[in-house]
Amino acid sequence: MFLWPGQPFLLSVQQRVEIHKLRQGENLILGFSIGGGIDQDPSQNPFSEDKTDKGIYVTRVSEGGPAEIAGLQIGDKIMQVNGWDMTMVTHDQARKRLTKRSEEVVRLLVTRQSLDTTSMLCLPPILASAHCWVPNSEGQERIPGPA
Amino acid sequence: MFSRNHRSRVTVARGSALEMEFKRGRFRLSLLCDPPEDTELQRKLDHEIRMREGACKLLAACSQREQALEATKSLLVCNSRILNYMGELQRRKEAQVLKKTGRRPSDSGPPTERSPCRGQICISDLRIPLMWKDTEYFKNKGDLHRWAVFLLLQIGEHIQDTEMILVDRTLTDISFQNNVLFAEAGPDFELRLELYGACVEEEGALAGAPKRLATKLSSSLGRSSGRRVRASLETAGGSGSSPILLPTPAVGGPRYHLLAHTTLTLAAVQDGFRTHDLTLATPEENPAWLPLYGSVCCRLVAQPLCMIQPTASGTLRVQQAGEPRDWVQVHGVLKGTNLFCYRQPEDTDAGDEPLFTIAINKETQVRAGELDQAAGWPFTLSISNRYGEEEVTHALQAESRGALQSWMEALWQLFFDMSQWKQCCDEIMKIETPAPRKPPQVLAKQGSLYHEMAIEPLDDIAAVTDILAQREGARLETPPPWLAVFTDQPALPGPCSPASVAPAPARIHSLPWGRPRTFSLDAVPPDHSPGASRLVAPLPLQRSPRSRGLCSKGPPHTWLQSPV
Repeated sequence: MFLWPGQPFLLSVQQRVEIHKLRQGENLILGFSIGGGIDQDPSQNPFSEDKTDKGIYVTRVSEGGPAEIAGLQIGDKIMQVNGWDMTMVTHDQARKRLTKRSEEVVRLLVTRQSLDTTSMLCLPPILASAHCWVPNSEGQERIPGPA
Repeated sequence: MFSRNHRSRVTVARGSALEMEFKRGRFRLSLLCDPPEDTELQRKLDHEIRMREGACKLLAACSQREQALEATKSLLVCNSRILNYMGELQRRKEAQVLKKTGRRPSDSGPPTERSPCRGQICISDLRIPLMWKDTEYFKNKGDLHRWAVFLLLQIGEHIQDTEMILVDRTLTDISFQNNVLFAEAGPDFELRLELYGACVEEEGALAGAPKRLATKLSSSLGRSSGRRVRASLETAGGSGSSPILLPTPAVGGPRYHLLAHTTLTLAAVQDGFRTHDLTLATPEENPAWLPLYGSVCCRLVAQPLCMIQPTASGTLRVQQAGEPRDWVQVHGVLKGTNLFCYRQPEDTDAGDEPLFTIAINKETQVRAGELDQAAGWPFTLSISNRYGEEEVTHALQAESRGALQSWMEALWQLFFDMSQWKQCCDEIMKIETPAPRKPPQVLAKQGSLYHEMAIEPLDDIAAVTDILAQREGARLETPPPWLAVFTDQPALPGPCSPASVAPAPARIHSLPWGRPRTFSLDAVPPDHSPGASRLVAPLPLQRSPRSRGLCSKGPPHTWLQSPV
């Protein structure tokens, strides 16, 4: 994608999230749901940019759960769990790596698409209020920029 | 390249005294004459030595790894039995010598301590669960890593082994079909159970070593193993601390390692299945290491002789409880926890029902007495049982004082046995006679499918044209209902290569075997309408047991979500 100066663009940010599992009876839960896997159909993934991406994504985060507290967000793509790679695993393998009974803390490396607003701040004031363009596959569309 | 580890070799040094004895076919530790039990032991020892020679010859002659494993196992079992018997003989000799040099035996010796009766111990349905980790699937791609395992069981001087079983990652448990029976065991028995394993694949390039191994085995003994042999002779046969099995020679051939062990006693006996903990003995680095779950499941039963054989019998007069209070002459047989009263002695053999039965258990009260006033039969025995609130007493009369004494003696012995054998005397535990040992089956090597597939050009063309035809062909029809038999689950763990894409079958392949096709990563999967969540049946695998680890399903149609 090409950028206009001052245009907010989607940035892939790597975040490290440390989740302390919560004990619920006999189970240790993290409080989120995952989707994806090399044995799943990637075209049905609503969160991925690239529809052939077979990675593991966070599809739901329980309110007040350990994942939300730790800062995990819906749509995050999980790259690693405690050092184990999660980009080339089946759905079940991913689930198992997250739910190991022997681990009370899981450290995730996630990738998050976020709007980068820093470029806005260093622009001269005139351009900051201009309209921003976000090109997409169907042609350009005007979207109102942030005030 | 092999490495000589610290384990000693089990061989006999050339020209050593031990070797000379073996050559002569006998082994005698002393020149004193042997009591009958010793000749029995001697006979067993000779038998084992002959078996050992046979096993050595077999090992030298065999060419396949599986045969070598069997032969090595027999050899090792023979060796350990030999050492065991030799140790036992030594102990007996020493005991004899001590007795002879000690006090003189007199007619009225010290009162013999009551010893509990012997019994039969049977262990069956042995099962050891395994715990394969994901890593096992990834470690050996394409090659099925296999182990040969067997169990050694020992009570006192008796060592028994189970059949050898080949284990690979497709098994969830190691199950032994054998029933192992120990004939003469006391209630204080210690059944030592040991699991030995060896890799089926060669450890290093040592093909052709069996012959060398066999000659070495029969002709040399290193200094350290000589010391070990002497040490085991000194300790009582079957000491609990050292493993039963002698260490294997480091020269070529299969090497068995002790994987786990445990000791079972009377407390573990139950007429049912129980799980016991195993003590693991090999570290993970050892090539023969198996991912054992850490427990063994088995059925350990004991049949004390007092329960299955009559311990006393004779004529008695019994007063039947209730009206009329007559004395009936019966033939009483004390067997197990019952005193059966038969009309005539012949009835016992005929299998007739006894006239009545008096229960004798731990709570039974027995009193003996001599009544002066009773006519004819003054020697009485009364047996009282408590049934709930009620106390039922049977009065019995014995023929003579001697008869009364022997009945009392039998009853005391029975009570003693019951106190020693505890739960085994509550009810007779069934023991199935062990089936004759099947000859070791030589299993076909279960290589991966890659080894089995024959590439034939004709088939290739047929398959390719099939695939092309399907691609061009019509949309997917509803698969026939019976195709559901071959449907795989979408989430298959294992080395499922994401690259293998099989064409969605609209019809069954006409190939003689449903060989899956592997395509390159660039292959475009057939176009499915988006959102079609209909499950299309994957390529049918006629070899369904082999489908493990083989991905030939169609492109996934699900996008599962799981909470964690």
